[in-house]
Amino acid sequence: MFNLKYKDDFYKLILSVFIFGIILIFLTVVAVMLYYSYPAIIRYGLPFLWTKEWNPPKEIFGAATFIAGTFMVTFLALIFAVPLSLGIGIFLEEYCPAFLRGFFTIIIEILAGIPSVVFGVWGVLTIVPWLRDSIEPFFEKHFSYIPFLKVEENIGYGILAASFVVTFMILPIIASITKDSLASVPKIIKDGAFATGATKLDVIRDVSLPHAYKGIYGGIVLGFGRAVGETIAVVLLIGNQAVIPKSLFGVGYTISAVLANTFTFAVISHIYASSEVELALILLLVSLIINLLGRNVLKRVIGGKFSRSQFGGG
Amino acid sequence: MADNNGTIKNDIKIEVKNLNFYYGNYNLLKNINLFFKKNSVCTIIGPSGCGKSTFLRTLNRMNDYTEDTKLTGEVLIDGKNIYNRSVDVVELRRNIGMVFQTPNPFPKSIFDNVAFGLKIHGIKNKEFIAERVEKCLKYAALFDEVKDTLYKPAFSLSGGQQQRLCIARAIATNPSVLLMDEPTAYLDPMSTGIILDLITSFKKYYTVVVVSHNIQQAARVADYSGFFLSGELIEFDNAGDFFTRPKDKRTENYITSRF
Repeated sequence: MFNLKYKDDFYKLILSVFIFGIILIFLTVVAVMLYYSYPAIIRYGLPFLWTKEWNPPKEIFGAATFIAGTFMVTFLALIFAVPLSLGIGIFLEEYCPAFLRGFFTIIIEILAGIPSVVFGVWGVLTIVPWLRDSIEPFFEKHFSYIPFLKVEENIGYGILAASFVVTFMILPIIASITKDSLASVPKIIKDGAFATGATKLDVIRDVSLPHAYKGIYGGIVLGFGRAVGETIAVVLLIGNQAVIPKSLFGVGYTISAVLANTFTFAVISHIYASSEVELALILLLVSLIINLLGRNVLKRVIGGKFSRSQFGGG
Repeated sequence: MADNNGTIKNDIKIEVKNLNFYYGNYNLLKNINLFFKKNSVCTIIGPSGCGKSTFLRTLNRMNDYTEDTKLTGEVLIDGKNIYNRSVDVVELRRNIGMVFQTPNPFPKSIFDNVAFGLKIHGIKNKEFIAERVEKCLKYAALFDEVKDTLYKPAFSLSGGQQQRLCIARAIATNPSVLLMDEPTAYLDPMSTGIILDLITSFKKYYTVVVVSHNIQQAARVADYSGFFLSGELIEFDNAGDFFTRPKDKRTENYITSRF
C-alpha cells in the first residue's frame, strides 16, 4: 500500500497518526458538546447568555450568573497573581542567591502540584475566617459607600474568597514559567547590555522581559486556563448561589462549580441536562478563544509596551 | 617593556599589574603585567581556553557577575584602579565599549539598539540622541544600509550587519576604550574585511583591544600584540617584532603553525 522507501517516512507516518489522534480527540469533544447542547441552543437561543434566571422546575435556563461569576473569579485571580508571580519569577532568576534558588524552585513546584481540593479545604479553614472576622468588618466600617466593596452578608464565603484561593493555585504556574523564560534569555545578550553600563534593572526591563515575554504570556494563559476551569476549590468557597455578584464580598456561582454540583442529577430532565452541557460548551469556547485570540492581544500590550521607541520611533 | 616605562608613561591608557584571576580554586590568569598605549590597536592571541577572553573581561569588570570568582592585582585605566571600591561600574562601562564574539543585538529596533546606552545613562534630548545614533552608525559603516529601516527590529539584519550594529552600540556612549572579543569569529570574509578596516580606523578615537583566534587578522590590525598560553602572558611586543621576530619559542611555534 505504502512505498516506505525510507525509515524516516515510516516514523513520519507514525508520528502523523499521533497528531491526527490529538486533533480527533479535540473534534470529538467539541462534537459531543454541540450534539448534547443542541436542544438547549435551539430552545433558548442567544438570550441563554444573558438570562439571569436558572430555574430547573420551570425550565427557565440562563447562563448569565455563572458567566459573571466565572469571569469575576478568573480576572480577580489574574489581577492578584500576575504581578506577584512576575515578581517572584524575576527575583528567583535575577536576584536570588544561587544556594537558595534551588530550594525556592522546589517549593514552587510542589505548590503547583498540590491537588485543588486541598487548596479548597485550606481556603475554608483559613481564608474564610480571615475574611469574615477581619477583612469584611473593616470594609463594612470604612468602605461600605463603594458599591463594589459593599459587604452584604458577613460570612466570608464568596467571590473574593474563591479568587484568593485560585490566586494561590495559579501563582506557582505563572511564577515558574516566568523564571524559566527569563533563564532562557541568552547570556550574551544580557552581557551586551551590562557592557554598555546597564544596571540589573535596566537589563531586566529592556532585554530580559522583552525577550521572555512570549514564555511569560504562555504562563499567564496556562494560569487563566486553570483559573477559568477551576472547580473543586471554587465550589467550596464561592457560596454557590446563582446570582450576579454585586460586590467582591458577594456570593456567586461559576460554570464549573454549577456543573460539578448539579450535573449528576440534571439528567432527570432532557432540557436541564442539555442546558448544562451548553454551559460546558461555553467554558470550552472561552478557553479556546483565550488561547487563540488572547495571544495577539497580549503581544500588542506587552510587546508594544516594551519595544516602543522612546525616541519617537515606531 | 620596563625600560621605556618612564618615557611613555603619559601615553599609557590601560596598565595591568600583577593580575591574577581565579575561578573557584583554578588560577585562570597568572600574574599578568602589560599596558596598552592610547590610540593604538592591541591584539591578544592564543589557543582556546588560554584565558584571553577572561582577561578582556577583567578590563571592564564583566566577570563581576560570575559567581565563585576572585581577582587580585590592579587594572589601571587613566591611572585609576578600576577595582577600587569607589569606582562606579556603570560609569566605567560607559567609558569602555565592548563587542562580543556573536552579534548580540537587543530585541529592539535598530535605532533603539544604538540609543540604548545613551538612554540608560540618562540622556533624554531626542535631537542629540538621533544625531548620535546616526553618527555612530556612520562610524560603524552601517548607516547607508539601514537609514531607511531604522525602526525595524535589529534581528532583521544579516549577521555581519548585526555585528556592525553592536559596534555602533558600543561606541554610542563615546567611550575611550573599545574591547572586542573575537568580533569576526562568525562572520563571512566580506563582513570580516569591513570590520577589520573599522578597527584600524577606530584607533584615531579609541584605545582598541582585540582578542582573536585568527593570527592573520590579528597581524593585519595590530600595533601591539600579546600571546597568552594557559593563563600566562608569554610575550607582549609591538606588532612588527611580535609577528616577524618573536622572542619566545612558544610564540614562534604558535604563530608559524598557523601562517
